[in-house]
Amino acid sequence: MMDRIAGLGRLGLAIIASFGRSGQFLFGVLAGVPRPATGFPLLVKQLYAVGVLSLAIVVVSGLFIGMVLGLQGYTILSDYGSESAIGQMIALTLVRELGPVVTALLFAGRAGSALTAEIGLMKATEQLSSMEMMGVDPLRRVVAPRLWAGFLAMPVLAMIFSVVGIWGGMLVGVEWLGVFEGSFWGNMQSSVDFVDDVLNGFIKSVVFGFVCAWIAVYQGYDCVPTSAGISSATTKTVVYSSLAVLGLDFVLTAVMFGDF
Amino acid sequence: MESSAYITLRDVVFSRSGRRIFDGISLDIPKGKVTAIMGPSGTGKTTLLRLIGGQLRPDSGQVSVAGHDVPRLKRKALYQLREKMGMLFQSGALFTDLSVYENVAFPLRVHTSLPEDMIRDIVLMKLEAVGLRGARELMPSELSGGMTRRVALARSIALDPELIMYDEPFAGQDPIAMGVLVKLIRDLNSSMGLTSVLVSHDVPESLSICHYACIIADGKVIGEGTPEELRAHPSERVQQFLEGQPDGPVPFHYPSGDAAADFGVGGPSS
Repeated sequence: MMDRIAGLGRLGLAIIASFGRSGQFLFGVLAGVPRPATGFPLLVKQLYAVGVLSLAIVVVSGLFIGMVLGLQGYTILSDYGSESAIGQMIALTLVRELGPVVTALLFAGRAGSALTAEIGLMKATEQLSSMEMMGVDPLRRVVAPRLWAGFLAMPVLAMIFSVVGIWGGMLVGVEWLGVFEGSFWGNMQSSVDFVDDVLNGFIKSVVFGFVCAWIAVYQGYDCVPTSAGISSATTKTVVYSSLAVLGLDFVLTAVMFGDF
Repeated sequence: MESSAYITLRDVVFSRSGRRIFDGISLDIPKGKVTAIMGPSGTGKTTLLRLIGGQLRPDSGQVSVAGHDVPRLKRKALYQLREKMGMLFQSGALFTDLSVYENVAFPLRVHTSLPEDMIRDIVLMKLEAVGLRGARELMPSELSGGMTRRVALARSIALDPELIMYDEPFAGQDPIAMGVLVKLIRDLNSSMGLTSVLVSHDVPESLSICHYACIIADGKVIGEGTPEELRAHPSERVQQFLEGQPDGPVPFHYPSGDAAADFGVGGPSS
């Protein structure tokens, strides 16, 4: 019994210590202001790796999710004779919720895991240590551009996801099922508010991008530098990011839309 | 020792994961010489290099490099000191996304604002010194183990350091690659006036190039001196290590219980 209590205590301490380390780590990454001449090319390279290379999965997922929303929305709304509201339903669902959340989950799976594996492997092959011994801080040289790239790419990817999703919903609703195009776009335009919907969705994606990128780079930097350690860190990145995104989504939704 | 000490360790105590790695170790590494630090695997030879480089901090004791108290240096001062150090890692630790040329140019690009044509000249000179000028366009994945270490060596001397530390440079090398590395370490030390610290358990190669050597075991220095002095050292432990005897003060058998009881002979087994 005492062993179990002690084990619980050790686990609690380990979790708190991990939070402390990740906070220190974040401070170390953000504390240094990189020189634009060296920092900007590194950032652009990582924006390509993290953002541009995630485009395919984001676009394809956005298209299919929009098409499914179109089908489901039409099925439900046509029972009430209000299938012309399908445009606003798709747009609100995507802009407020599915755009930021699904993009963040996809981002954690594709870019986050890649960031963790890359940094973890650099640690295991002593590349980070060799950088330190050359008088170069790996937090600023390796980690900071990846963190900023994730933070910047995520909101753009979420916007692209929502736009492609709306287009997919239009393909199904208007082109296939015959909803009147004018009411599709008109209802959407009149019901989607820029501040309440678009901006709040954007803020969500900014928060998710920051959290996912932070978890990914921290897990890579803090991993045990072995094959098993990198594998475990990569899994943790996806699991922790997904849980953090879903939990934060509830909190942010309650704050943004919970004024009942 | 003829030369003054470039690196000094005094009563250094270091523990990791509850295990005492160094128990009050003291050591002087002379300036401008090749010093070999030898010892069985797992005795903390690489840890010693990391303490010298300030990547690890001792629990107590003093680590001094070129007059700087390394564990007490501020971050900026430590990074400036490291610009005077080169380190050859066991794996080479080349940046896998950069070519051989870019790997060697990396410290120059980060720490200097030299024009590109001058960087090119320096990189080619360093690569020429290790015999790999013709391999400058290759990627690290296209290099053999020996070539990887030579490129890493070229990179670590790119900024003309005062100190260079070699972590197991001969491990896993074929005889030709080993011969090349032995020659390079000796030649670079004499031509550049470097202070070299060589961590290795390859006794013949290390003793053939070092001016001074010490053997570490159980967290302490068990023998030190010139190669000749070490070969004549009275300690059985030192002689067992130098001659690679399988049994001696370091026993062949891991500590175990009574063999007869384990095999069920002459008494009840446990």
